[in-house]
Amino acid sequence: MSGWIRIKNVFTQRYEGILLILPWIVGFLLFVSFPLFYSLYMSFHSVRITGNGILTEFVGWKYYSNILFQDGGVFYDQLLPFLRQVLFMIPIIVIFSFMIAIMLNQKFFGRGLFRAVFFLPVIFSSGNVIQRFLSQGRGELGFLEKYSISTALTQYLPASWSMPIVTVLNSFILILWYSGVQILLFLAGRQTISSSVYEAARIDGANPWEVFWKITLPAMMPFVLLNTVYTVVDLFTFPGNPIIASVNPTQYGPTSALIWVYFIIILLFLGLVFLVLGRAARGTTFTR
Amino acid sequence: MEKVINVLRKQHMRSGLYGLGERLRVLLFGREADKGLIFRLFIYIVLIETAYLYLNPILYMISTMVKGLSDLLDPTVNWIPKSIYWGHLKEAWTSLNYPVSFGVSASLSLASSLIQLISCAMAGYAFARLKFPFKKFWFACLIFTFIIPPQVTVLPLILMYREVGWVDTYFPMIIPTLFGHGLKGALYVIIYRQFFSVLPKELEEAAKIDGASIYRVFFKVMLPIATPAIVVVFLFSFVWSWNDSYFPMMFLFKMQDVPLSIALAKATAATGTNEGKIFAQSIEMAKSFLSVMPPLVLYMFTQRWFVEGVERTGLVE
Repeated sequence: MSGWIRIKNVFTQRYEGILLILPWIVGFLLFVSFPLFYSLYMSFHSVRITGNGILTEFVGWKYYSNILFQDGGVFYDQLLPFLRQVLFMIPIIVIFSFMIAIMLNQKFFGRGLFRAVFFLPVIFSSGNVIQRFLSQGRGELGFLEKYSISTALTQYLPASWSMPIVTVLNSFILILWYSGVQILLFLAGRQTISSSVYEAARIDGANPWEVFWKITLPAMMPFVLLNTVYTVVDLFTFPGNPIIASVNPTQYGPTSALIWVYFIIILLFLGLVFLVLGRAARGTTFTR
Repeated sequence: MEKVINVLRKQHMRSGLYGLGERLRVLLFGREADKGLIFRLFIYIVLIETAYLYLNPILYMISTMVKGLSDLLDPTVNWIPKSIYWGHLKEAWTSLNYPVSFGVSASLSLASSLIQLISCAMAGYAFARLKFPFKKFWFACLIFTFIIPPQVTVLPLILMYREVGWVDTYFPMIIPTLFGHGLKGALYVIIYRQFFSVLPKELEEAAKIDGASIYRVFFKVMLPIATPAIVVVFLFSFVWSWNDSYFPMMFLFKMQDVPLSIALAKATAATGTNEGKIFAQSIEMAKSFLSVMPPLVLYMFTQRWFVEGVERTGLVE
């Protein structure tokens, strides 16, 4: 009897979590890891769907070399410009949402109203609606046309860099629309800094400028990292991402290879982000 | 004697002046960056400007949607139409097949968000508080699930669902949520994990000493106090699955009763006639309006709890 109880105790101490986590693990194997490996498998095979089932034939690196060396249309003309565009969009989104979150954190009249407005993008930015705004040019900033900034840019920069910048500027408002969740994350993060730190700094005679750079910014670095990662992940679904359009269930092999090229670029990119920001942000959600 | 008084008076005046200057400085710049008048003004200008940028497309959508032919052709009418014309809304209503697609969208997103609200909480609670083998490895898997683009797994999933006969059914959108996956499931698990990991341990320990099973502890003690996290996850999940057109587009090939997001993508305005061209934009805007209206209304009602919830979940530690 006591043995049974001891076994039960050991079980509850070490394995009680299994009961709750098991569904998630099963789901992970079924809906994430299996498709992931199968997609890697398909990228090396030509896949044909027949009445009797799925026929695959090994083709080696053929699709990858097609994408990278022979027929680089999608990769060099669509994907790389998009990634260059993303390179500009990420800092804009992160800095903008940081500023807004710091402002929304102050106490002032009408704060509730402003907060409500600034969460609206979460509703709009994920749907088809935003594509409609994009296609009707609702994302443009008026002054760009007025001072013909885009023509100046195209004159002074090589085309491969000026084009993405012009595209980014032309859809500037919509990029700001994509910062809804990031504002939320920063606002939640700002709550974690206790007000006594600020009081102590004020008693020691630090001016507001110093307080921002020495206290607020360092304490918020983990959230900068988190938001950068979130933004990179979120931009997978940004309208105008060429990968979305090119994934269609007709050519399984070549498409899988293209997605893996894209995925590896994203992973490298995220690795870079972690390397640069991770040092500045010890003890984030991800490392803890 | 008079001299002394004069000196004293001068000093007094100077200090008074100094006091005034100091007070003015405090008033304008504040003791902290966020307290001064100038900074206040600056905040208002920036926030109003950005709020305008955010609201502009919405206002444009609503104003364009109710413009009749005469208002569209009249160059003096910019934002406010002279008369309200409901024709575009009616046309959008029929071309979206609104009653049906609304029903499909509502039931799909309600079902998946309600399920995710519980299944993700289970996983999040386990990650935050409980022991199980290879926990670190599974947590890395969770982060990986969050990072992985949906495009990577979508093709094998189509093949998989075709094998089991789920293509052209709503199962692909619902079944993964039962396991705490589905659209952005990893993000919700992470949110719950953050929430549960900062709660005091005494709560569950008391229940455990009373001999309650782990399910009992979870459903009777932990879940009821997770309201802030639940509100945040529910609203995110509902809005995102309402708006999502990617997965339904991939899994519903021949289906007649499609969710609103698909109906919006599929329906194309009649642009053949001249009048059609003029109206096209208005009809597009009317359709957009009809499809974002429901989550917007939901947000208007839950907004207060949502904003509080975001702060209280500590969403990210």
